[in-house]
Amino acid sequence: MTVLQEAIRKRAAELLEAGEVVRVIAWGSGRFANQTSPLFVSAAADAEKIVFNDYCVNTLAKYALNEKVDGKIAVCVRGCDARAINRMIADNQMTRDEVYLLGVPCSGMKDRATDEVLPKCLTCTHRNPVVYDELLGEAVAEPAEEEVSGLRYSGIEAVEAMDREQRLEYFNEVFNSCIRCYACREVCPVCTCRECFVDQLRAGWQGKQNNLNENRFYNLIRVFHIGDRCIECGECARVCPMGLPLMELNRKWIKDLDELFAAGEEGLTDELDNTLGRYKTDDIEEFM
Amino acid sequence: MSVVNEAQTGVAAGTETFEPKILAFACHWCTYSGADLAGLNRMNYPANVRVLRVPCSGRVNPQYILTALNQGVDGVLVCGCHPGDCHYVSGNYYAKRRLMAFRRMLQYTGLEPERFQVRWISGSEAGKFRDTVTSVVEQIRAIGPYTPDPALAALIDKGTDAQNPILPESVAAGEGGDAS
Amino acid sequence: MSRVGVFVCHCGSNIAGTVDVERVAEEAGKLPGVVLATTNKYMCSAPGQQAVKDAIVEHGLDRIVIASCSPRMHEATFRKMLAGTDINPYMLEIANVREQCSWVHKEKEVGTPKAVDLVKMAVAKVNYDAPLTTTTIPVNKRALIIGGGIAGMQAALDIADAGYPVTIVEKEPSLGGKMVMLDKTFPTMDCSACICTPKMTDVGAHPNITIKTLAEVESVGGYVGNFEVTIREKAKYVDYDSCTGCGLCETKCPQKVESEFDQGLAQRRAIYRPFAQAVPAKPSIDAAHCRKLVDGKCGVCEKLCPCGSIKFDDVDKVSTETYGAIIVATGYQLIDWTKIYGEYGGGRYKDVISGLQFERLVNASGPTEGHIQRPSDNTEPKTLVIIKCVGSRDPEKGKSYCSRACCMYSAKHAHQYLDKVKDGRCYVFYMDVRAAGKGYDEFYMNTQHDGARYVRGRVSKIYNQNGKLICQGEDTLLGSQVVVEADMVVVETAMVPADDANRIGSMLGITRDKDLWLSEAHPKLRPVETNSGGIYLAGTCQGPKDIPDSVAQASAAAMKVAILFSKDELESNAMIAHSTTSLCNGCGACVSICPYTAITLEEITVRENSRMVTRPVSKVNPGLCQGCGACTVACRPGAMDLRGFTDEQIMKEVAALCQW
Repeated sequence: MTVLQEAIRKRAAELLEAGEVVRVIAWGSGRFANQTSPLFVSAAADAEKIVFNDYCVNTLAKYALNEKVDGKIAVCVRGCDARAINRMIADNQMTRDEVYLLGVPCSGMKDRATDEVLPKCLTCTHRNPVVYDELLGEAVAEPAEEEVSGLRYSGIEAVEAMDREQRLEYFNEVFNSCIRCYACREVCPVCTCRECFVDQLRAGWQGKQNNLNENRFYNLIRVFHIGDRCIECGECARVCPMGLPLMELNRKWIKDLDELFAAGEEGLTDELDNTLGRYKTDDIEEFM
Repeated sequence: MSVVNEAQTGVAAGTETFEPKILAFACHWCTYSGADLAGLNRMNYPANVRVLRVPCSGRVNPQYILTALNQGVDGVLVCGCHPGDCHYVSGNYYAKRRLMAFRRMLQYTGLEPERFQVRWISGSEAGKFRDTVTSVVEQIRAIGPYTPDPALAALIDKGTDAQNPILPESVAAGEGGDAS
Repeated sequence: MSRVGVFVCHCGSNIAGTVDVERVAEEAGKLPGVVLATTNKYMCSAPGQQAVKDAIVEHGLDRIVIASCSPRMHEATFRKMLAGTDINPYMLEIANVREQCSWVHKEKEVGTPKAVDLVKMAVAKVNYDAPLTTTTIPVNKRALIIGGGIAGMQAALDIADAGYPVTIVEKEPSLGGKMVMLDKTFPTMDCSACICTPKMTDVGAHPNITIKTLAEVESVGGYVGNFEVTIREKAKYVDYDSCTGCGLCETKCPQKVESEFDQGLAQRRAIYRPFAQAVPAKPSIDAAHCRKLVDGKCGVCEKLCPCGSIKFDDVDKVSTETYGAIIVATGYQLIDWTKIYGEYGGGRYKDVISGLQFERLVNASGPTEGHIQRPSDNTEPKTLVIIKCVGSRDPEKGKSYCSRACCMYSAKHAHQYLDKVKDGRCYVFYMDVRAAGKGYDEFYMNTQHDGARYVRGRVSKIYNQNGKLICQGEDTLLGSQVVVEADMVVVETAMVPADDANRIGSMLGITRDKDLWLSEAHPKLRPVETNSGGIYLAGTCQGPKDIPDSVAQASAAAMKVAILFSKDELESNAMIAHSTTSLCNGCGACVSICPYTAITLEEITVRENSRMVTRPVSKVNPGLCQGCGACTVACRPGAMDLRGFTDEQIMKEVAALCQW
């Protein structure tokens, strides 16, 4: 870890010094012990503020979108960050030459409060970045498929196994708890609309009340909007102040698309190929 | 609200049988003309279905379906041309993918499968349109009215209808529009 | 606030019989924005329409709802009516209270509340109607025809005769396609070349027709009336302006190549015309085989040519031109049976030949001057076996469809063989005989009278024994094994789309079926149109056909083009998709979904967050959009919307149904 941290600091300083990039997005220490937050470095001298430890929980890619600078931005990318970058390039939110990607292998991050590996990291299928300009440190071993595949869908399968009334009760509880702070939307690398459907008053998709109906609408439509593009970084669930199992909703969609249309994982390339944006004439028929 | 409405929804009038309100999205080229043909042939089917005409099943946004359910219909039916027969080449194929995934999602979160159904009905299948409508109405009549938000429903029952939070008066009165 | 007029039609007793129309009007009068709600005996009649027009003036209406029959019936009528008023024709909604209400319900207590609901939905929608306008698109009255076979030529002649310029793009060195290779045509036994070559000459001589041979379409942009087409004419190495077509060069060229025209049964030179009556009647050099072009030695033709027309430094000519309509007539090819029918020797036996090879063999201008001879030893075959449905109706190995023409041309082959080889015996192995067509069944019966022996069953194996081709099969009518010692076997193979058809289909946005045939817009009612406006199909590119059907379709396609060209401008559809630039995030999800390639991403430069930003946004081409709305659902930001069926309108309809 410290070796990697040094490597990131060194390269960040060099890139800034040489003027190859105007900003580096990495992690810095937060106010509390073992807390980190995204760090935006503009001067080579500040590169030493970069940290890389077991608690770098933020997926950084989306921060690159909000940096309005003239010049290249370097971003530290692990598997999740890299897939998010690919996703944003596929969605025309940035071009590949706007970013310089410092690949950082990652074996999973820990929750500061519990000191346990984050749920989103337990189901990670790409510990090494899938795209980068240079890879810092040695690539780590990817998890065995059986190790992850069980965990990826275990939560969903448990819910699917419930009877309908139980599921209704379970999700009503979830949706009732939602406070619609939209943190899940803000952090999501797939949520790149200029104006979210919830704010579009004219069409009137989303009512403003906080009640079960409106919360269900928000959460289900959020999944409909991102479902076939989700790169499974798990940030939505991580940032949810109410601790709602948002990835359980996303993953259900992902699992279904995979079962129905062999969708596969998203964000592995920067080509646009949404599962719901194509079809086969012999697609499965479930309606009749 | 109106007299007519109450007479029609049996529950509100306190009568025995529950008459569900069902919204059917029908594509202009196939199902809508199939429904017209059912009329031309003087076929009979329950009056619970209201058809909303769209150019193509590919125009049906899942957001409409959830909105309709939230706002008080008891079931939604989406109908389009048979796969391969779309007037616009591919609209129903996209609809099929979207709606299949969305339907699974609704069921996953606890919706009865009967409340949201999709059927492919061609312009010549008047009988199929009649049978589909009849069967969907029967299915939904059997499972009863849809109460997406029991707490909200209780609130409305208590007579707070005037301040009904999901029906701001401006919306009900259609004032929001400045299309004119 | 809008001023809505609601007009409820009695339709005699058709609606009024099961719907209390006065009650419907009364309820409609209470709806938001409605200033007038009334009924009329027959809305669509002249007095009914006049009543609406008068009411518009009297009550200052700015939009109307008509509760009547299906919009599929009279929406156009009422739009037309509005065109004569101050109201835009699109400020109209129709509540279908006849087909979907009064006709399907028996009691007024049932029909009336439903009719009220339908009117509510229509009023909710009409409140959000916006005036729509159509734009006009200019029409370039020039047609492009891809493929110079019989279908392409027929279409070209018809359009040219109607007075419009036509360009034919043909990938081979000559027009003529497959038809000119045939010997005779069933059932009349006309000489194929005798009826085809005059057409070729007509095409070549027509002042309105430009022929581009050895050419292919590289790219197509634009839309109906305005296609931008890039065509590559391959280098011919012969200057067609000065060449007189004397043919001297061909006689002395030392390089011999298997003749494509003669299906490999004869040879041609490297500088050649594929056949004597070729149009244009001028040779071209096959660069892959020419000694001068391959290794720089030779140049005999250049020395011989009296006109100095040989140009070894010739290059491909690429041109981009604008056309108003395109007819695709790319035709068919025969399935390569040698790759899939190992049991017939897979091409190892020289005397197992395809039907098209037989056509050349029996043709008086063919390699044997019309004598039927075995390719292996030039002897006359005394026993001929014809196998039908090789690759057709065989989903396991070939294609599941019937190739339609083979039943007839195999009967023709049997007839020709028995005519030329008086002591010959001919066996035809068949699955069914499908001889539907004028004079077709009679022709088939005559062939049987000629002595052709029809054996119902497939040949399961062919092997060589002492110079004979032993054909083993089953006679399924007798239920017994059949073995025929044949001297020659003709396999009547399936038609499949031409090599290039898939590329051209995808370039033009024409859907292909599972076998890659190009799909027509409607199998019954729009058999020559495609789903892309201004693009039509002719001949076998759309599916297997015989010559008369190909010609008929070609003339039909030509008529469609002539209709299109009879107008100076086209009116675009008013109810189409449009994108709100401020909402569009440029993700491009709509682009790939559009079946009409109507949506493109365009870069815009705007000031955002105090800096100039260049970003892509989607743009709808109103000439191409057909208004299906599939893009609107793919658009998560809600930037894409469909005029006439907007998100807002549909949401208001839903709300009206639930809440009013």
